[in-house]
Amino acid sequence: MSRILAYCGFQHAPELSLPAAGVSAAPVQLASHGELGLLWSEVEWPFDPERMQKSAVEFHGVVHHVFRQRAVIPFRLLSVFDDRPAFTTFVAQNQERFLEDLERLRRFVQMECVIYPAPSRSQVDRSSGKAYLEQKAAALRSSQGVVQAVRDAAAYLCGEVRVREAKNGTRIFVLVERGRENDFRQAVSAVAIPEHLSRRMSGPWPAAEFLSEQVKMPESAGAK
Amino acid sequence: MQNDFESVEVLGGGEDEVSLLEILDHVLNSGVVIHGSLVISLAGVDLVYLGLNVVLTSVETALSNLQIEEKRRQK
Repeated sequence: MSRILAYCGFQHAPELSLPAAGVSAAPVQLASHGELGLLWSEVEWPFDPERMQKSAVEFHGVVHHVFRQRAVIPFRLLSVFDDRPAFTTFVAQNQERFLEDLERLRRFVQMECVIYPAPSRSQVDRSSGKAYLEQKAAALRSSQGVVQAVRDAAAYLCGEVRVREAKNGTRIFVLVERGRENDFRQAVSAVAIPEHLSRRMSGPWPAAEFLSEQVKMPESAGAK
Repeated sequence: MQNDFESVEVLGGGEDEVSLLEILDHVLNSGVVIHGSLVISLAGVDLVYLGLNVVLTSVETALSNLQIEEKRRQK
């Protein structure tokens, strides 16, 4: 059974280099609707679980091939459409919103900093419930201080910041002008981190955290 | 600029394991969600082998997004 796998949307221009092959070596095809370009492949569905990691890396490769050149709106790996008409309908329905977001994010990439408890340092005090809660509260305050310091350090070069608590730490997403990624790294590296916390930076990524809600979860027909 | 992008390539071993996890996290959890795809990822128990954290994150995101979708429908 085959499905249409969507990779990403972008403002199309003839000079753009596009990848030839995507997940499972399937040919990558371009769907154009006005200025909007979307990359897709016809793939066997469901994916072979034996090569899921490989599929993820191949998917990432397609998205980043375009992202190296300009802003993209990435789809999630498991987003597939029943057939080409369903995909075409989706593109027509959402073209305007996609282009609005692409224009808004045109000059930016997303950098990320995660603040998380240092594995070797985080010894939990279980001597009493009160001690445990006090330790947790102190850790939270300390983490919030670091998150604010990271925000402040990156403020001069970022358009927007989003902070999200995750099970394994606090994730800080920063919209940075393309080409200023190293400025972000330097600014965040200069922030002092307490012993019990660690920091990890990554990026540049497509600015997926900064998409409008209508683009993140669009209306769709025939999608699986 | 090129090096910035190469820093997330998967080369195997050590620090690159983190990069692979980050790639998995981003391709599964960041970007456009087509309605219905989350059901497949929840039902796809085969994904477990990807790594527990990645799958747990996906499920968390899935549940949160399904709740948003449900609220949107009720409006």
